[in-house]
This record gives sequence, C-alpha cells and structure tokens, in this order.
Amino acid sequence: MFEVIAYGLTIGGILYIVSIGFSLTFGSMRIVNFAHGLVYAVGAYALFALLPVAKGNFVIAAILAILASLPVSYVIEKFVIRRLYGKSIDYAIIASYAVLLIGVDLIKWIWGASPVPISDPVGTSVSFFALEIPLYRLIIIGLSFLIFISLSIFFKKSIIGKIVVAGLADREAVLSLGIDIDKYFAIVFILGSALASLGGILYGPISTIHPYMGFRIVTLCFAVVIVGGMGNLRGTAIASYTLGMVMAVTAWYWGAAADAMIFVVMAVVLIFRPIEL
Amino acid sequence: MLKILNNSVAFAVGVIVVGFVVFAYSASVNKVTDFVIFCIYVLGFDVLYGHMGRISFGHTLYLGAGAYGAAMCAKYLVPDPFLAMAMGIAAGAFLGLIIGPIAVKTKGAAFALINVAFNQIGYFIVLVALARYTGGEDGVSLTFNSYGFVNFGNIHFLFAFCLTCLVAVYYMMHRLYGSAFGIMLLGIKENETRVRFLGYNTSAYKWVAFIISTSVSAFAGSLFVINYGFANPGFMDPARNVEVIFAALIGGPGTELGAVVGGTAYMVISNYLAKYIARWEMFLGAALLIIAFGFRKGIMGYVRELVEKRIKANAMAAEK
Repeated sequence: MFEVIAYGLTIGGILYIVSIGFSLTFGSMRIVNFAHGLVYAVGAYALFALLPVAKGNFVIAAILAILASLPVSYVIEKFVIRRLYGKSIDYAIIASYAVLLIGVDLIKWIWGASPVPISDPVGTSVSFFALEIPLYRLIIIGLSFLIFISLSIFFKKSIIGKIVVAGLADREAVLSLGIDIDKYFAIVFILGSALASLGGILYGPISTIHPYMGFRIVTLCFAVVIVGGMGNLRGTAIASYTLGMVMAVTAWYWGAAADAMIFVVMAVVLIFRPIEL
Repeated sequence: MLKILNNSVAFAVGVIVVGFVVFAYSASVNKVTDFVIFCIYVLGFDVLYGHMGRISFGHTLYLGAGAYGAAMCAKYLVPDPFLAMAMGIAAGAFLGLIIGPIAVKTKGAAFALINVAFNQIGYFIVLVALARYTGGEDGVSLTFNSYGFVNFGNIHFLFAFCLTCLVAVYYMMHRLYGSAFGIMLLGIKENETRVRFLGYNTSAYKWVAFIISTSVSAFAGSLFVINYGFANPGFMDPARNVEVIFAALIGGPGTELGAVVGGTAYMVISNYLAKYIARWEMFLGAALLIIAFGFRKGIMGYVRELVEKRIKANAMAAEK
C-alpha cells in the first residue's frame, strides 16, 4: 500500500508540474494549448539527446533541456496562438493541434517512433518498512511540493503573480487599471512551459519516452483542469495529486485501466459540476 | 442557371452520384466505396462543427461505436447486414444519449477535449476491457448474410448501396439545416446566450444535434465494417481524429456539399498521394496550419463565394 501511495504522489507531482501552465492558458485564454504537450515531449527528448553532452550529469542535462525547449514554446505562443487568439478560438485550438502533430512527426523523424528508455539518474532506493522505494521518486515528490510552495508564494506575494491572479478573475478590470495583462500572461506562459518541459524530463526515467507522450499528457492535464477548475491554482494542485492517486490505485489492480479511470473520474466531476465551460 | 447551381439539392445530388460513379469505375470501386462511406462520416461530424460551432476532437469514438455495434451484432447475434447497421446506429445514438448531456454543457476547447477523454475510455474498452469479445488488437473478422441480389460481398452492389446511403444522409442533412431546428443550431453557434434569452432551452437542442451527429457517424462506422468485413480498434483510435477534422475543414465547414468534397479530398490525398508524402503527420499538420491561417472557408466556401459573386454581377448587368 505504501508503494502505491508513493507512486501516486510521484505521478501526481509530475501531473501538477505539467498542468500548472496548461491550467493558466486555459483559465486566461479559454484555449487548449496542445502545444503544451509538445513542450513536455521536447523536454524529455532534449534530455535524452543532451545526457551524453553533459557527460551523464542529469542535473546539467535537465537544465540544458529546459533551456532548449523554451524557444519552442516562445515561438508557438508568439506566432501561432497569439496571432489566432483574437480572431477565433476554434482556429487557435486547431492550429495548436497542428503544431503538436508537426512536432510529434519531427520527433519521430529525428529519434524514431519506438520508445526510448532513460535510466534512473539516482539509482539507489530507500527502504521503508521492508519496502524499497527508488530515491528518484522521493526526489520528484519533494520537488513537486517545493514547486507548489514557491508558486503559491509567487502568486500571492510577487507583483507579477498578483497581476496574473487578478487577470484570471477579471481581465477587463485589470486592463482598465492600465496594466498590459498580456505581457504578464506571456511571462507565466513561458514559466508554465518551462515547468512542462521539466515534467517531461522528470517523467522520462520513471517510464520510457515516446513521440506520442505529448498527446497523452494533454488529455491528462485537461482532466486535471476539469477536476480542479480552470485557472484555479490550488484546485490544480489538489486535483493533480488526487488523480495521481487514482491512477496509482487503479494501476495496482489493473495496469491498463489507469488512464481510462482518470477520465471516468473527470466525467463524474463534470456531471455534478453546474458551471458551463 | 447559376442560381440553380447554388441552391438546388437535386443538382448537388446529381453531381455527387455522377461524380462518384465516374470516379469509381475509372479508378477502383473498392476504394471509392471507402470514400463514399467516409463522406457520410464527415457529414455526421459537420452537424456539430459546421452548424453548431462545436469542434469535437474525439469523433472516432462514435465511428468506432457504430463499427463495434455492427460487428458484435454480426458475430454474436445474427450476421444480418441490416440488423448490424441498425445496431451500429443504435450504439452511436446510445453514446450520444449518455455523453451528450455532459458534452454539450461545454464549448470550444473543453468540448473538443471532453470528446477525446471519452474516446480514450472507449478505446480502452474495446482494446483491453472487452478484449474477450472484441478480439483486442486483432479485432474480429465477419461475414454477412446475403439475400439474392442483396449481397454485400458484391462490390458493385455495396458501392450502389453506400452511394444511396450517402445521398439519403445528404438529403436528410439538407432538410435538417433548412428546418427551424437547423436555424436554431446556427443561432446557438452565433450567440447561445441570446437564443436562450429568447426562451429556448438550448441544452435540449444541442443534445439532439449531438445525438444526430453521433448516430450518423456510427452509421458510417457500421458501413465500414460491412465493407471491410472486420472491425478492429483502429476504428476508435483517438490518434485518427485528425482525419475527419481535416476533411471537414478543407471541404468547407457548414455546407453539406463541403463535407462531401472535403471527405473525398482527404481520401484522395490519403489513398493516392500518401506514398509520395514521406512525413504524413507533418503534412496534415502543415495543411491544418495553412487552413487555420488563411483557408478558413474551405473549398466549397470559395466555390460558393465565386458563384454568388457571379450571380450578383449578372443581376447588376440585368438591371442595366
């Protein structure tokens, strides 16, 4: 049972790290940024490519991979989403989906379609009551809590965070104060993308990385956002860990059903949620 | 003359029938039967996208529901093709009935992804959960009864049957969009709040439109099964949603003929040009980007614009 809880918190932590940026774009612009999944996949593959460059040093490779994936998200935001957003939300969604398709195919072109394994960078395990839990997973759990705490402080205390929170609640009111809200959303968009990339990097060693991992994470992030509420930062965190636990418990009984179970939970939440999206 | 071209459903049906028959017997009847069925699927998809302004990224679920409804009926009940079709449509309508109330609460991005989520559940069910009955990844192969000349194994009969179905669905859609219900859907697309303000229960209308869309898509799925003689999870693969989105967009959303043109265009590209396109997904992605940035009306949108311009020019010339 302890193992299941640890696995759930690990998956939940990664879900949280990836979902936060997705939730912010969804809350602020009401569009699904499929390209968010691409950044996640690019982070993982950049890590795979950069590990030999960094001579096997995981931390350096991870930092380089995040830096490498930032231009991707910047270009997508600047030239695709921004330009279509004002005109039509539908076309913005379609265009971001198109970007994901192109990106996935590029990844297949460069690294091949078959899954690539990344070895556990820590390697050692910690024993708890006769149970062995890889230290790497505990690090992920710790890191996700750390990110949660620092983001909470960021959105509560810093001026950028406060403006973004205000903009999520009432965009026009913030605009009428003479604040260029789009600039601040762009900053948190980049921040969210960096976290998505980090999520891909952290997920790599737990499982294998494959070109379609971006598609999968987008639907999972969406489930998190539906359960937690769009642009609701605390809700996103709670939903991530809850759904992570749901996945872990389902996987304990029936591995193949883990993803489907998430969507069942999401559907149940939607039935009882009165708001219209 | 031009006015007839623009508005006459008889003319459009004539073009579809003659076009497909000529195409089928000059190229390959087998392939063109596929194209015809795919057009029915696009027509079903376009009820939601072109007319109600809701884009679904998980429509293969309903195609697959029809396919598996028909396949399960043929495998475990009776291999009667007509009953299989009815079961396929019933499966699609049932899904629309239960998913509809949840899905139509949403719009835009949320609607798109809710369908993907249900698609994932459905894919899991046919691939893993019910693998004992559906044959899992291998799927099931089927044979259907034949009655005299009603023999779905005969490609000429099958082609004629599918073409008749396409024309029937086309006509049904034409009548639907011309009716008060169709105008209601357009109103919902433009501004749902105002429609509700007029005292209409928009959720009910959206639900009905959703069921129509899923049923028509499922019908296409059951025809695919009869055509291929097998059903496998590929029919429900969430990764294949791009096909129908691409077809609806390139043909011109919101017009019945646009759906047929788009469906044919996509099938021609994927059947005849795919071997020359090394990176297929990249090609589709790039094409979608071009559509999103500068080709929004689709092929039929531009044709219609051209025809309407000519009508106007003629009218002006007549006034002088």
